[in-house]
Amino acid sequence: MAMSLSSFLLSISFFLTAVYAATVTYDFDVSWVYANPDGVYNRPVIGVNGKWPLPPITATKGDRVVVNVKNSLGNETTSLHFHGLFQFGTNHMDGPIQVTQCPIPPGGSFTYNFTIDQPGTYWYHSHTKGQYPDGIRAPLIVHDPDSPHKDLYDEEIVISFSDWYHGMMGPLLTDFISIRNPSGAEPVPNAALVNDTQNLTVSIQPGKTYLVRMVNMGAFAAQYVWFEGHTMKIVEVDGIYTEPTEANMLYMTAAQRYSVLITAKNSTDANFAFVGSMDQDLFDVVPAGLNPNVTGWLVYDEKKEKPAAKEINAFEPFDDFTLVPEDKQGILDKVDHSVTLDMKMDNLGDGANYAFFNDVTFVRAKVPTLYTVLTSGSEATNPVIYGGNTNQILLKGNETVEIILNNNDPGKHPFHLHGHEFQVVSRSEDEAGAYISDSSMPPTPMRRDTVLVRPNGHIVLRFRATNPGVWLFHCHIEWHVASGLVATIIEDPLTLQAQLAGKIPANHLQACKDSNTPSEGNAAGNTKNLLDLTGQNKSPSPLPAGFTARGIVALVFSCLAAFIGMAVIGQYGMAPVKAKTG
Amino acid sequence: MPNVFAVPVFFICFRECLETSIIVSVLLAFLKQSLGPEHDAAVRKRLVRQIWLGVILGLFICVVIGAGLIGAFYKAGKQAFDAAEFLWEGIFALIASIIITLMGAALLRVNKMQDKWRTKIAKALEDKDSSPLPLTGRLKRWCQKYAMFLLPFVTVLREGIEAVLFIGGVGLGLPATSFPLAVICGLLAGAVIGYLIYKGGNRTSLQIFLIISTCFLYLIAAGLFSKGIWDFEAHAWGKIAGEGALEAGSGPGSYDIRKSVWHVNCCTPGSKGDGGWGVFNSLFGWQNSATYGSVISYNLYWLVIIAGFLMLGYKERSGHWPLQKPAAVAEDVQSQSDGSSGVGEKKQEGAATSNVREIQA
Repeated sequence: MAMSLSSFLLSISFFLTAVYAATVTYDFDVSWVYANPDGVYNRPVIGVNGKWPLPPITATKGDRVVVNVKNSLGNETTSLHFHGLFQFGTNHMDGPIQVTQCPIPPGGSFTYNFTIDQPGTYWYHSHTKGQYPDGIRAPLIVHDPDSPHKDLYDEEIVISFSDWYHGMMGPLLTDFISIRNPSGAEPVPNAALVNDTQNLTVSIQPGKTYLVRMVNMGAFAAQYVWFEGHTMKIVEVDGIYTEPTEANMLYMTAAQRYSVLITAKNSTDANFAFVGSMDQDLFDVVPAGLNPNVTGWLVYDEKKEKPAAKEINAFEPFDDFTLVPEDKQGILDKVDHSVTLDMKMDNLGDGANYAFFNDVTFVRAKVPTLYTVLTSGSEATNPVIYGGNTNQILLKGNETVEIILNNNDPGKHPFHLHGHEFQVVSRSEDEAGAYISDSSMPPTPMRRDTVLVRPNGHIVLRFRATNPGVWLFHCHIEWHVASGLVATIIEDPLTLQAQLAGKIPANHLQACKDSNTPSEGNAAGNTKNLLDLTGQNKSPSPLPAGFTARGIVALVFSCLAAFIGMAVIGQYGMAPVKAKTG
Repeated sequence: MPNVFAVPVFFICFRECLETSIIVSVLLAFLKQSLGPEHDAAVRKRLVRQIWLGVILGLFICVVIGAGLIGAFYKAGKQAFDAAEFLWEGIFALIASIIITLMGAALLRVNKMQDKWRTKIAKALEDKDSSPLPLTGRLKRWCQKYAMFLLPFVTVLREGIEAVLFIGGVGLGLPATSFPLAVICGLLAGAVIGYLIYKGGNRTSLQIFLIISTCFLYLIAAGLFSKGIWDFEAHAWGKIAGEGALEAGSGPGSYDIRKSVWHVNCCTPGSKGDGGWGVFNSLFGWQNSATYGSVISYNLYWLVIIAGFLMLGYKERSGHWPLQKPAAVAEDVQSQSDGSSGVGEKKQEGAATSNVREIQA
């Protein structure tokens, strides 16, 4: 009787999910193809199923998404991260290599399988060794039948913005983290793209209102975005619905998303340019001849001319800090766990420039950190086992967490937290120094998953640790990921074990075997004594401080040589005088 | 301080002025001896005036030539040098080091210099009487009449131009503002020492003074030699690291870690505000960022200097170079050891020094 009842309930629940949720399956054969998106330089790019640009992933809230990845690159490993998705209960589908999975080796296959319960504008990209700027990135759109704004627009448009390099990431990274680049100057992009092309035309019908979903999927450059003759009404940032807010110009850092409502004009008299303009403040040296802008057009009438974008006097972008979420979630004012991260750039003993959180630069662990959690039993709550260079932060379940980030660097940095959205409760202007206190925090702070911290300023972020998992917190400038501006948040590891121990799919573990990556034990791959980190991956040693032994020896010898030399000169100089007197 | 006072320039002026004042003192002494009180006071006065006129005119022409050369250099060359600053500074530092090295030893033999010039002048005056000159009678007579003018004029001109060339070589890498004070101080010090020699004061204390200044001279030269190598390495590093190396100031990235022996992020010579370290640099060759090249070259320099002076001393005592048969003393080699005078007079000078040795022995 009980059996039949449970099977009855099961069939009902199956029926319900079948009604509300579909399974969306994508088969991605990842391989090299050639592309020339800026019309200047044809180069190898990472495509999917022989094509580039990559197809956007689209789903409806509640859908299960299955992405079957086959790595046909031949010479590189890969992985996919679905940027902004919480991956609740599916931490192993998050994508960063050596964090939640092993790299997918050439020839290997790997399945990402998760449900999406959050609406909005997202994107997916490789999370393997600075790989995505070679082209493996695209928007991921989650439609919402229950959107509070669904009656405000007629149609949807997706526009991606990106910087673009003519060089391949492999050699660019080698040159970037190198003794030849002691100041850590990031390679400057060669062009800006919109929807992976330039001079894009978007057909517009007069009188209609459009929901324009915008994604910056660049490697480095933030972009100013504006539409000539039209105002934008922001209704979503990074998957969070906001109260509709007017803006003339946006500042989109790498990895940020905005949905805006744009109402078309009632006449077809003219077409209008829209512009993405890379923020050149980020560039160490702006090369001569760089065009930082990419232009597209809202086309009302194809027969009419497409006017060149007008020069503007100044960039005056909208300040996203003032946005109010639609759900008016109140500020998390009782902080259980406050973490301070002081970031800086400095050089290490190999002469190259690295990025540091609290004086530690991130180096990938030998074992993916999630697998360390799952194979360490009760030791999982001991931060030591996660190694000396992973910047691990252990969180207890359900605590309210605050991250204070002090930017001790004269650059702008967009910080991204995996697996969460966070409240931005404080953000300073440029040069404000370290965070002390803020008495004017907003009652309903903006939430998003990627936020800009200004030069030598600070940000304070808050979130609740309700999503057990291993989540990266990192700067989304891909160069800075490579130079180590990454922290590993290990959230409620014991609950995570209960969720996932023994449930890692066989094809995930196969990737470890095929890529010779250990999948058990501490950060050094030691399974017997978890506190023994011998052989772990370490950053280069620090620069020698001032006078070391060889410096002292050299100085002593130099002084000695000078004194002996002067003694000989003196002896020679006195000789004839003696001869005369004697 | 290095922007106001170029130490190497000071020593060059000092040394050349000393040599000039010795010539003048020899000439004045010569007049005193050959035209005793029994001679016409008016004639003596006229001849003394001729000497001073020659000196002043010679000096004046030198100053004009020197100012012209240096001015032209700063106007035309500075921009070209800015492009590869370290490379040029390195080349100039090496040139300066070699110049100072070669002329430094002579400073210790100032009394020998006095004897040398006495012989030279005596010879010149004798020659004038005996040798048949291919000149017309009038010119010959004019030359005889104004010998006391021509001799100091020509020698001052020669020494002065030498000084100008030396200063040019040493000072090309230095800022123009560092010249005047150093030149004036050098000239004054040289004149004072020259006067003391003329008066024939305490020779031993004078000799000690000269030894100390020679030691400083070689400290400077060693520092310049090391700095030359350091500059070449800095130039190479600039080519590798580009903008980043300049951006780093004195911090990490401003130097090639692979070649570093020590590095402190302070105490940089030459930068604004660290004046004391600049003096330290020009006197002792201090670097806040020492490299294998700069340390080894510094020690190697001293090794060569030590060996050189030991050999010079040996030769003066035994009359020949070490490991050389006493008979095989070549005049050319001898004149090199003196190293103070121009090429044109090599032969004569060699004879002069050997004369002096005979006198001394």
